[in-house]
Amino acid sequence: MKYFWLGSLFALLASACSTPPVKQASSPIYTRWARDPETLDPLAVPNQSAIDAANLLHMALLLVDYQANAYAPALAQALPQVRTIGDSLTALGYELRAAATWDDGQPVLATDVDFTLKLLQCPGLPNENSRAQFGFIRQVLIDPANPRRFTLVCRGQGTEIMTGSGDFSILPEAALDPAHTLRRWPLAVLQDWPAARAPAPAVAALVQRYQRANLARQPGNMPGCGPYRLAAWETNQQLRFQRKAHWWADKLRPAPFVLQARPQELVFAVLPDDAAAALALRRHDLDVYPQVPARIFQQLQASPKAREELVFYTKSSYDILTAGFNTRRPALHDRRTRQALSQLFDPAGLLAATQLGQGNRTVGLLPPSSPFYNDSLPLPALAPILAARLLRQAGWQRRADGHWWQPGEAAPLALTVRYRAEEATFATTALQFQAAAARVGIAVALLPTENSVLTNALQTGDFDLYIRLVKGSPFGFNFATFLHSNAIGSGNITGFSNPVADRLLLAIPAEGNLPRKRLLLRRLQVVLREEMPLLPLFFLPYRLAASRQLRHVVASGIKPGYAITALSWPAADAQLAGTH
Amino acid sequence: MLRWLLGRLARAAGAAWLTASLVFIGSRLLPGGPDQLALADASDLSRPVAGTRPAATQQAARLAVRNRLGLAQPIFYVTRTAGQWQWHGTANQYHRWAKAALHGDLGYSYRDGQPVATLLVHALRYTLPLAASAAGLAVGLALALGLYLARATGSVWQRLVANLLNCLQITPLFLLALGLLLLFANPEFLNLLPAAGQAPGAASHGQLAAYWLGRLALPLLSLVLAVLPELTLPLAAGLRQEATSGYATTARAKGLTTRQMLRHHALPNAVIPLLTTLTDLLPTLVAGTVIVEVLFALPGSGRLLAEAAAAHDYPLVVGGVLVTATARLLGLLLADVLYFLVDPRLRPTA
Repeated sequence: MKYFWLGSLFALLASACSTPPVKQASSPIYTRWARDPETLDPLAVPNQSAIDAANLLHMALLLVDYQANAYAPALAQALPQVRTIGDSLTALGYELRAAATWDDGQPVLATDVDFTLKLLQCPGLPNENSRAQFGFIRQVLIDPANPRRFTLVCRGQGTEIMTGSGDFSILPEAALDPAHTLRRWPLAVLQDWPAARAPAPAVAALVQRYQRANLARQPGNMPGCGPYRLAAWETNQQLRFQRKAHWWADKLRPAPFVLQARPQELVFAVLPDDAAAALALRRHDLDVYPQVPARIFQQLQASPKAREELVFYTKSSYDILTAGFNTRRPALHDRRTRQALSQLFDPAGLLAATQLGQGNRTVGLLPPSSPFYNDSLPLPALAPILAARLLRQAGWQRRADGHWWQPGEAAPLALTVRYRAEEATFATTALQFQAAAARVGIAVALLPTENSVLTNALQTGDFDLYIRLVKGSPFGFNFATFLHSNAIGSGNITGFSNPVADRLLLAIPAEGNLPRKRLLLRRLQVVLREEMPLLPLFFLPYRLAASRQLRHVVASGIKPGYAITALSWPAADAQLAGTH
Repeated sequence: MLRWLLGRLARAAGAAWLTASLVFIGSRLLPGGPDQLALADASDLSRPVAGTRPAATQQAARLAVRNRLGLAQPIFYVTRTAGQWQWHGTANQYHRWAKAALHGDLGYSYRDGQPVATLLVHALRYTLPLAASAAGLAVGLALALGLYLARATGSVWQRLVANLLNCLQITPLFLLALGLLLLFANPEFLNLLPAAGQAPGAASHGQLAAYWLGRLALPLLSLVLAVLPELTLPLAAGLRQEATSGYATTARAKGLTTRQMLRHHALPNAVIPLLTTLTDLLPTLVAGTVIVEVLFALPGSGRLLAEAAAAHDYPLVVGGVLVTATARLLGLLLADVLYFLVDPRLRPTA
């Protein structure tokens, strides 16, 4: 017994001094997920983990190429042929790859695309977000001469129409609707079906069949066309994906970047705590740690041992930290007041304090790297003297008590700032604003709020200022969803309404001519700076730490921040080189 | 005694049902809701978006979510709208839930459509062994340490143990657990125990058992250390109090050592006030310990219920409350039974 304990102790100490294990070609790649995907239903995809999983199990017409930061053809043979119809419609001509097949060997056809788009509109399925997102696709015209060729007839015109038309998982009609029930229903009829009206019996039967398939937990109940299959899912613990031995895209030479799937096994470990995830990375329980918080990233980089074992990447993302004003509040109705308050934020100091100086300050909602960025505008900066001057211009008077009053008003200028609780960056920003405002005589109350309560408070206008992220992308410039006056009551929580901005917001996505689009976007940035419904503070960085043994690490500023299917171990590369 | 026990059980079942019913109705009256959380944020432009998404579209999407989740029905048999009471008959959410619950069906999670009972059972498979082991270990240690501290020899070790327990008592659980993690699962310090690794895929039962023993060591230690002062310090104080009483003096006069007197005579009396604390651990066994489960990446019931509450996953929250409330009430009942066993004067027949 004594020797058993001695042996155990020796084994423990030996493991403590261990070096990173040498990986085999088939060794799994362990990646950190901060949360469980909750569901693998391809219609729902409620969070980033679910989106990542869907991209492994299924395949879309277009996928993000993280090398080029652009959409690239996946199931589609090429990017769609764009043709405008009149002044309000767009026709997108697609052709599916001839090699594309389902797991059962059947070809992926235009009827599958048509079926999927109709399924996205069926009432009773968890597709409400997809309904809104792909509601602009009104009709699928299948080429009678070529079952792989089809045209999507879309409402509206602009670049978002093209890029947004292909980013959804295609599902097999033969497996889910062998009787072709949905072929009888035009897509537009399903889209326009009133929410209060019961679905047609045939549609209801299909919905029940879909629900019985339990794709939320058992995606393998349906043949897929993605490179991986779900091997195991332990809720809130880990998901294990295995590479299909025969995947249709393996035949493509050369394989496009978006159709490369090198790892034989992917394991996503659900580790909600950042510190625990960092320790897991150091203990070689993880190989990839995306979205590393600033402090942990700094600590890892400071450790010589960690630097030996890990590589670090930082990319500027498209997520912008913004402060928004409730323009419906009488005190904030005047744009000069909003301009004055925006002078009390210190983007440079905040970037240094919360992001180690990484990331990018900005003049507007576009990143400085964008060709549409308005570099003529000055970067926002802390300017309390200018703030006081602007407040006076807006009619505020500073009284002997140090506070700002409007003539005839019963109370001085005082603000509440709402932001999501337990977010250090938001809290730091709010505290900095509070301190700067106090110095010029404005009382600021901070209201860190639980996420669902915050969403409700913002929707109902129960705030003066908010601090939150606007999640952007390089794919489109449709800011109308949260700035257009039409969206007041839904996405436009600032209540901002301006005829010039409205015109620009609608014109920008529709404009196909790049020089004209550039002018419109530059003008929008000026209008938003003058009207100041919200103040973009800076673009956040994405930080990635990965095992030094990994090859083909492609870091990106687009979520999830890396290309998981491109990764491989040196042994796998050597094996592949030997094969060829 | 049996009639009393059955009566208490019936009252406990009624109270648990009432608690779950109140949570059922209260949760649905909260601002926001799963329909609001299910819809994508308009400021999320990470995927290309076409159009402006006017308020009417948003309202239609919310209605579709409410229809799908069964939230479009009235909440209860009667509701008050615009100052008027309205009777809805059995076509209401509460009736549907109550009818199903009485048949053993706690409903389905809004997030993944899985049965609530299945999710709870799965989570309890992790939480129950962990929390039960922690409770058992803590009780054993508390008895040993309580007896040791009550001997009042005033040794350095005794003072050290007492001070350590006092320090532990004022240390929040998250700090304690994080400290242990950084101490014992850190390659920069002591890399002795796993904190978040994966169970070996093709492993024998022995290897799996060894893995889980190592994996649960730190969570177990965190829980034991967190609860130990709460049990030990009052027990030691109680034992010292009992040691000054007449029967203790008599016992010592008859030749018993202090240790024997404390163990055989003072302990049964000193442990009585601790019974409530001990039975309070029962709901913890079911509700789990969120902090430890999050930090050590354990898929237990505390984490499950905390995430369900944040996501307004009402069926899961209500199911969890029903089970936790039942455990809580059974804990109180158990406390009463233990009191009666330890002190016959308290029995209803006495």
